[in-house]
Amino acid sequence: MSGRARVGPDHVGRRDATLAALAALPGIGPRRLRVLLAHHDPEQAWAVVRRQSRAAPMVAAMLAERGLGAQVAHHATDGLLATMRARLARTPMRVTCIGDADHPEALRHDPAPPAVLFARGDPAALGARRAGIVGTRSATAAGRTFASHLAHELAGEGVAIVSGLARGIDAWAHRGACAAREAGAAASPVAVVACGLDVAYPREHRELRRRVEACGLVLAESPPGTAPEAFRFPLRNRILAALCEVLVVVESRAVGGSMLTVGEAERRGITVLAVPGSPRNAAAVGTNLLVSQGCAPVTDADDVLVALGLDRRRARDPAWDPRPAPDSEAACVLAALRGTPCTLDELVVRAGSPLAHVARALGRLEAHGWVHHAGGWWEALVP
Amino acid sequence: MFASVRSATLLGVQGRSVDVEVHVGLGLPGFTIVGQPDETCRESRDRVRAALLSCGLEWPSTRITVNLAPSGERKHGASLDLAIALGILAADGVVAPESLYDYAFVAELGLDGSLRRVRGAAPLAFAAGDRVVVVAPPDAGEAGAAARRGVRTAAHLRDVVDCVGRTRDWPRPADAPLAPERASPVGRERPAPDLADVHGQPVARRALELAAAGRHHLLLVGPPGAGKTMLAERLPGLLPPLTDEQSVTATMVHSAAGLEVPGGGLVRRAPFRAPHHSSSLVAMVGGGTSAMRPGEISLATHGVLFLDELGEFPPAVLDALRQPLEEGLVRVARARTAVVMPARFLLVAATNPCPCGEGTPGACVCDDAARARYVRRFSGPLLDRFDLRVVVTRPRTDELLASDRSEVTPVVAARVAAAERVALARQACHNAHLSGEALEAHAPLHARARSLLRNELERGTLTGRGYHRVRRVARTVADLEGAPGTVDADHVATALALRAAVPAPRTAAV
Repeated sequence: MSGRARVGPDHVGRRDATLAALAALPGIGPRRLRVLLAHHDPEQAWAVVRRQSRAAPMVAAMLAERGLGAQVAHHATDGLLATMRARLARTPMRVTCIGDADHPEALRHDPAPPAVLFARGDPAALGARRAGIVGTRSATAAGRTFASHLAHELAGEGVAIVSGLARGIDAWAHRGACAAREAGAAASPVAVVACGLDVAYPREHRELRRRVEACGLVLAESPPGTAPEAFRFPLRNRILAALCEVLVVVESRAVGGSMLTVGEAERRGITVLAVPGSPRNAAAVGTNLLVSQGCAPVTDADDVLVALGLDRRRARDPAWDPRPAPDSEAACVLAALRGTPCTLDELVVRAGSPLAHVARALGRLEAHGWVHHAGGWWEALVP
Repeated sequence: MFASVRSATLLGVQGRSVDVEVHVGLGLPGFTIVGQPDETCRESRDRVRAALLSCGLEWPSTRITVNLAPSGERKHGASLDLAIALGILAADGVVAPESLYDYAFVAELGLDGSLRRVRGAAPLAFAAGDRVVVVAPPDAGEAGAAARRGVRTAAHLRDVVDCVGRTRDWPRPADAPLAPERASPVGRERPAPDLADVHGQPVARRALELAAAGRHHLLLVGPPGAGKTMLAERLPGLLPPLTDEQSVTATMVHSAAGLEVPGGGLVRRAPFRAPHHSSSLVAMVGGGTSAMRPGEISLATHGVLFLDELGEFPPAVLDALRQPLEEGLVRVARARTAVVMPARFLLVAATNPCPCGEGTPGACVCDDAARARYVRRFSGPLLDRFDLRVVVTRPRTDELLASDRSEVTPVVAARVAAAERVALARQACHNAHLSGEALEAHAPLHARARSLLRNELERGTLTGRGYHRVRRVARTVADLEGAPGTVDADHVATALALRAAVPAPRTAAV
């Protein structure tokens, strides 16, 4: 139930457990679950799939498809119900069904809304203006920094950041939004995950997910205990897109999960914005493609606020960047590093200075957080 | 009736002196060979008999017993053939037994009585001690490099009989015809490829120079086509010629492995070994036959061992490199024997940054699991041993087409030789082998350099082990720049920059 404290299985609402069990039935995807719950209330639907009650004509027709009825009846046992009850007791979460008053408003008119939603955290998070920030998992350090800065600034302006808790851009967008919220911003982060809410995936984001739950909202269409199977990610992306008012792609290759989310957003008429990158940056091929296809480019938070129809009230604080300004030698190296990641070899050629000088400058820049170094590659961290 | 002839047999990279004792006496005609001969040794009976008969000499039709002393050790190969033949002749009274006392005989016999070359002529000749060594003409160079009292060559068993009997003089080794493979222009004497062929890549070239001057192990990381192999092949050209002592060691190993040794009889130039990643553990560390053939790491002694596609080598092979890397020698133990072989080599390895080969951040298309598996292969203890880790990328078109040549090998090699001289004069070892205490004495840090290192340590980007490695490399940087005294901040900064954190840690994908 909605209580945050742990409760025993007996105290889990029967309706919640039934909804979770229905969502967990193999062969019943979001579309079929919608049909089922459009014609029956949860209790009745459970009786129908167990063949203990008469099905409405449309539901009967659906269950007659290729032995689906038998398959579903085979799995719809009291055991499944008890498992769900136990999982809900172990990880308390809110369960809402299509048609419920507390089902997210934003999904009400969606062409393919989730029939059942599981949520942990503060449902009021969805009440703010919402912007999605998505991108590739193998992002450059510059892209990750940009995503986190953008999310931080937007959250400070009262915009809830929606993302998917994946590695790369998603994670850093959440980090930026959480940091802003924890520092007192009005807007909370929102995450939509593909697996069950009690499944830690990716494992290294366990802590980050807790952080988002604590200061925002985490949503899932999958019942607790669901593994992150590959087919669930595109389904998750459609909910993510549906929850956004604008969608910002920070870095993406020409194909990938972010581009699927973009497709879902376009299908729903949601504005897609893209952060342009260097043409030589492989992680910016997709975003550059989007810009060339007519998506508005994003270079700072203002662009997103304009797309949301918000005016920026507060002037930008020039002293926000706490890093000491680089000296002339370091500035020269930093300038050579702008644009694309490069190796020391390329950097020495580009900067045209001796190796010792470049090395010295890099040491200082890295210490002050102006450059990032991983796997022998250097990147400039400039907004 | 009895004769004793000196010869030698091979174990690992060392020859062992063997006395071939022959007794020809009464009894039914027969031939027995005792003293743990291996199959090849046992077969020498038929070769020796045919050789004697081909020379028009008589095969005694009495009982012949051959003992290979010391009888407790196993004897390998055909190097005892000539000694057995001469022993039979001496015991039969054809040659005077005393006339053989001044010689050791190391050669295989052909059925026509001709002398053939043997594997390991150099260590075998060394084992002959204070005797003059008689070998087949193709072995004159190798044996001459190691023999203490000189070498005599003869092409035929009849020549040997005549020469020991003083009916004619030994031919001088120089008169002996060269084996065809030595006379050919191709082979080891081909000049090493020149560093000027490498366009651009100033940092990678610098890393090669540092690796050569301080004997720092080098890891090259980059996508296919970035020129990793090309760079590695140019490293032996930068290394100074081997000293006499090093040269003898390398010659012994090459000879024991049956590899061709250059015409002069000594390996003078730093060897370059590039075993394929399918090489077995035994091929790498040595062993295999009961004669314990030296492996690739021994063959690379005083030279370069290049491991291309480091991540593709079986983990067991890479683990086996760790002890030789520390000690400079390898101990191979089997149930019957244990040998110690030299293995002080400069390790150069090349690898792709990840399975897909793209290293650029954001361009990699590997999934996380595959990437983690690949990285796990060569991370950890082995990776720690590379003082220099450099990322190389494919050169751009304009760099490839650039007409200005970069520095040629002789120029860089001269700098390397000078820096090495400075280091050896100062501490009698290469910079890479400096111990922690020796670093304080021989590589004192300027205050600026010390504070730079302190920052790195405090930020956690440098570990305790890495700290010493950086100081060693910084010492070499300073030596190459003609600053044999205090190590300055610039030297340390360069050393730090040449120690890329490769492969990319997992956080890069987070």
